[in-house]
Amino acid sequence: MSSAPGREGVGEALLEVRDLRTFFYRRGRFGVVRPDDYVAAVDGVSFSVPEGESLGIVGESGCGKTTLGRTVLRVIPATSGSVRYRGEEILGLGGAALRAKRRDMQMIFQDLDAALNPKMRVGDLLAEALTLHKKLSSPEVRRHSEELLGLVKLKPAKLSAFPPELSGGEKRRVSIARVLAVEPRLIVADEPLSALDVSIAAQVANLMRDLQESLRLTYLFISHDLRMVELIAHRVMVMYLGRVVEMAPARLLADGAAHPYSRLLWAAVDPYTGLRMAQAPASGRWEISEGDRPKAGCRFRDRCPVYHAKGEPAICSDAETEPKLTEVSPGHLVACHFPQGRTETTAPA
Amino acid sequence: MSRFLELALEPSAWQRVRSWPLHRTVATVFGTGMATLVVGVYVASVLKVLPHDPDAMDLGAVNALPSAAHLLGTDFVGRDLLSRIMVGTQAFFLPGLLSVSVSLLFGSLLGVLAGFWPARFDTVVGLLLQLLESLPKLVLILLVVALFRADIYLILLVVGITNIPAAAELLRARIAVLRRKSYIEAAIALGLPPSRVILKHVLWLHGRGLVLIQATIGMGEAILIETSLSYLGFGVQEPTPSWGNMVALGKDYFFRGELWLSTVPAGAILLTVLGFHLLGDALLERLEASGA
Amino acid sequence: MAEATPARPRPARREGEGAVLFVRDLRTYFYLPTRGRFLRAVDGVRLAVKEGETLVLVGESGSGKSVTVLSVMGLVTAAPGVVSGRIWYRPPGHEDPVNLLEGLERFARFTPGPPVGVEKDNRRWLKWHEAGMRERRGRDFAMIFQNPRNALHPYFTVGQQVSEVIRRRSPELSAGEAVAEARAWLAKVHLDAPAKRLGDYPHNLSGGMCQRVMIAMALAARPAVLIADEPTTGLDATIQSRVLDLMEEMKATLKTTTIVITHDMGVARRLADRVAVMYAGRVVEEGPAPDVLNGRYEIKHPYTHGLLYAIPSAGDIREKRRLGTIEGDVPDLSRLPAGCQFADRCGMKPPGREHLCDAEEPGLDAPVPGHRVRCWRHLRHPSEGGAAP
Repeated sequence: MSSAPGREGVGEALLEVRDLRTFFYRRGRFGVVRPDDYVAAVDGVSFSVPEGESLGIVGESGCGKTTLGRTVLRVIPATSGSVRYRGEEILGLGGAALRAKRRDMQMIFQDLDAALNPKMRVGDLLAEALTLHKKLSSPEVRRHSEELLGLVKLKPAKLSAFPPELSGGEKRRVSIARVLAVEPRLIVADEPLSALDVSIAAQVANLMRDLQESLRLTYLFISHDLRMVELIAHRVMVMYLGRVVEMAPARLLADGAAHPYSRLLWAAVDPYTGLRMAQAPASGRWEISEGDRPKAGCRFRDRCPVYHAKGEPAICSDAETEPKLTEVSPGHLVACHFPQGRTETTAPA
Repeated sequence: MSRFLELALEPSAWQRVRSWPLHRTVATVFGTGMATLVVGVYVASVLKVLPHDPDAMDLGAVNALPSAAHLLGTDFVGRDLLSRIMVGTQAFFLPGLLSVSVSLLFGSLLGVLAGFWPARFDTVVGLLLQLLESLPKLVLILLVVALFRADIYLILLVVGITNIPAAAELLRARIAVLRRKSYIEAAIALGLPPSRVILKHVLWLHGRGLVLIQATIGMGEAILIETSLSYLGFGVQEPTPSWGNMVALGKDYFFRGELWLSTVPAGAILLTVLGFHLLGDALLERLEASGA
Repeated sequence: MAEATPARPRPARREGEGAVLFVRDLRTYFYLPTRGRFLRAVDGVRLAVKEGETLVLVGESGSGKSVTVLSVMGLVTAAPGVVSGRIWYRPPGHEDPVNLLEGLERFARFTPGPPVGVEKDNRRWLKWHEAGMRERRGRDFAMIFQNPRNALHPYFTVGQQVSEVIRRRSPELSAGEAVAEARAWLAKVHLDAPAKRLGDYPHNLSGGMCQRVMIAMALAARPAVLIADEPTTGLDATIQSRVLDLMEEMKATLKTTTIVITHDMGVARRLADRVAVMYAGRVVEEGPAPDVLNGRYEIKHPYTHGLLYAIPSAGDIREKRRLGTIEGDVPDLSRLPAGCQFADRCGMKPPGREHLCDAEEPGLDAPVPGHRVRCWRHLRHPSEGGAAP
């Protein structure tokens, strides 16, 4: 009870998030905030990540996964809740104390171009990161920079290049190198493989796994690419409209996902067999925008095939019985009144 | 027909310059040349490195056309025009720098504040800038002249203040765009202190082009204001030379058919302002081409 | 000289027989003045699409797939742009194809070199070419772009934009009839509450919705050829699946000749009748979809092979295996090597004949009818006698 859900006891909890909420308020004139006018991007998320683990965070656009990652790293301010790194609360930190903590917690940004200042050479970008927390002489900086590039399999010649001269895969690797330069323990990777070509994404995926092993890194792997998440992550957290709907070991989610939404996600994405959406929601709507979020009860019911199949049971729409994350088997939590059982394997190996 | 040929080696700097379109070459060469000339002339005049004493009258060679002795001729009391033109730069150079510095310094400050923290500062700064923008320059100048004195430094200081919105607006817009690009975010997430991010990443790398262009325009404007005021009799007074009062003095002779006295300083004004503007243009084009 | 030599150019009729669109030896170059070199975006591309067929162009960044269709549409304006080639287009119901690049030789002269040289009056060429293409765009050819929200006009409603397409196609319709048909198209692409959507602006709609609107607009034009550039990229997985469902449905009902550009093999699997794989500005493999995407290992290009293996199978994922990759990076399009463009990354060079790969670039030939490959592993070099390898 004292630990946040999903703790496996493998190593100490590096990161513990409890009841995190990030609301985006619309501002009026003079920065005045209207308390009722907000979007609840992250709406009460709790989880913990032991050291050395990869936690995958999946969901469609608008589910809050990117906002979650950014809030955890204090890139954007949290509205309420707690984020503890090695037991220390970081949401209240400011200034130099926060900058010191940032050394341990780094982010790989989704946008390839925007993470690297196009007017600075790769060498300068790396040097800046290297000398942030340590005093190094020029030749040492040079040596470390080359080592970093080697870690991400880039040639030392790239040190003098400017980001606009690099290919997508190279930019991604440089941003990984830059993040590694400060020697972090936790890396939040926001869609690290998205903008890359298939063969390059495969290289980067292998690289990330290798780095995790050799440097004992902990990842928060945010992605909408379920196959990659399943490949790289140990555990997966499925988010929908700001809340966690399911949390399970990665291998379970492929054919043992319990939440109807998780099953929808998985059914949509097999490129090998090109499976169709196995269960089309009765409402026929493809996506839901923030404004359509139901005021009470289970947020997913409008798109939920099970809800419709069962004749729209009241328990799903009642405000009192909003589904909470409960354990259905060791290490597997679902927020649903009608969690589904295992299915047969859907695709041949 | 355009001819494109693949080269075995990368083109040298000289070849790259050769491939520029004509207007760009002209603008850059002329602009840079003019700017350098003005600076050089100013420095020379301060160090009193002049062909003649600008106040020395030679009543024997009055209103003379250019000759070996007087490269630009003489004025109506025989003073060497070239030397007077050179000293004339002193009338606008430092005041111009003051004006430009004020507008850029405060403009940058306000631009950074409004750009980086729009939630807190945008409205306040916006109001302040609108206030400054609505001040009529000419009226203000005359007001200053009337209330205080015809001190060119004071005048151009006021002009600098009225120019703050231009620089501030440009920077604010740029920063607002850059902020959304996560490399600023990424720099902060990396742990860089915000001051370094602002100064180095934003201002120096991205803002310097804009700042330089504002500086050239500001200088051009300063020259025009100073010379106009002197022409009208409010600025630098005789016998101290200013391009403006030289034109004024020469205007009586202009209608008598002796065009030279007014044309020389007027030409200097024209060429210098044109030069600064062209330099600004060339910089702007270079900036846009490099994908700023 | 035989008297019976026909006046019309032979190759078009023989090679591109029955094709609605036949691109031959297309070259589109961009000059980089700071480097003094050409970026060879499209470097001798050969493509053919038959009526009613869906051809999927597969390739990664820098392969030239987008620039190829932009060249076909006449949308390349940078200098020098299209420098050589033929684009044979046979409008529906016509016997003889027309060359869309008619007159290019008057404005452009291309010397393959080395060194490569181009003489082109781009301004005049564009004016000339535009006169012909303007009519065809939106009528014969309709295009769906990536980033649907950006491709729709932000100031016009969905209804206005779709109606405009309809009225252009059939000017005899009244405004009311056009709007009614627009609504029908929106319903056809499974947009919720189509009547309400008519009044929406693009910024009111999600990415998936915008993409459907674009599809509706493209199809409403009843084009001879539909070109879709990365229609599912940037959309969520569930939406991608739905868009592909829609496109499959449209394919079955409308049977429009289609060219789809994608880097996603899954899209190719779902939609393609034929697949053409592009690399470094040229086609490296082209054939029937089931052959290129799955079997026919005997004539697979090493790059295609690499692409297919970079995608983890369900088994790979379960076992958490390392992904198969193609080492190295895509080549610099301004500095292409002499021999095969893929040689430096190829792990499947023909044993005993590797020297060919670096020496000479293979042509795109068909060891088996209907399936072409640009690879010495599967082709015989003229210098080699005897049976195929």
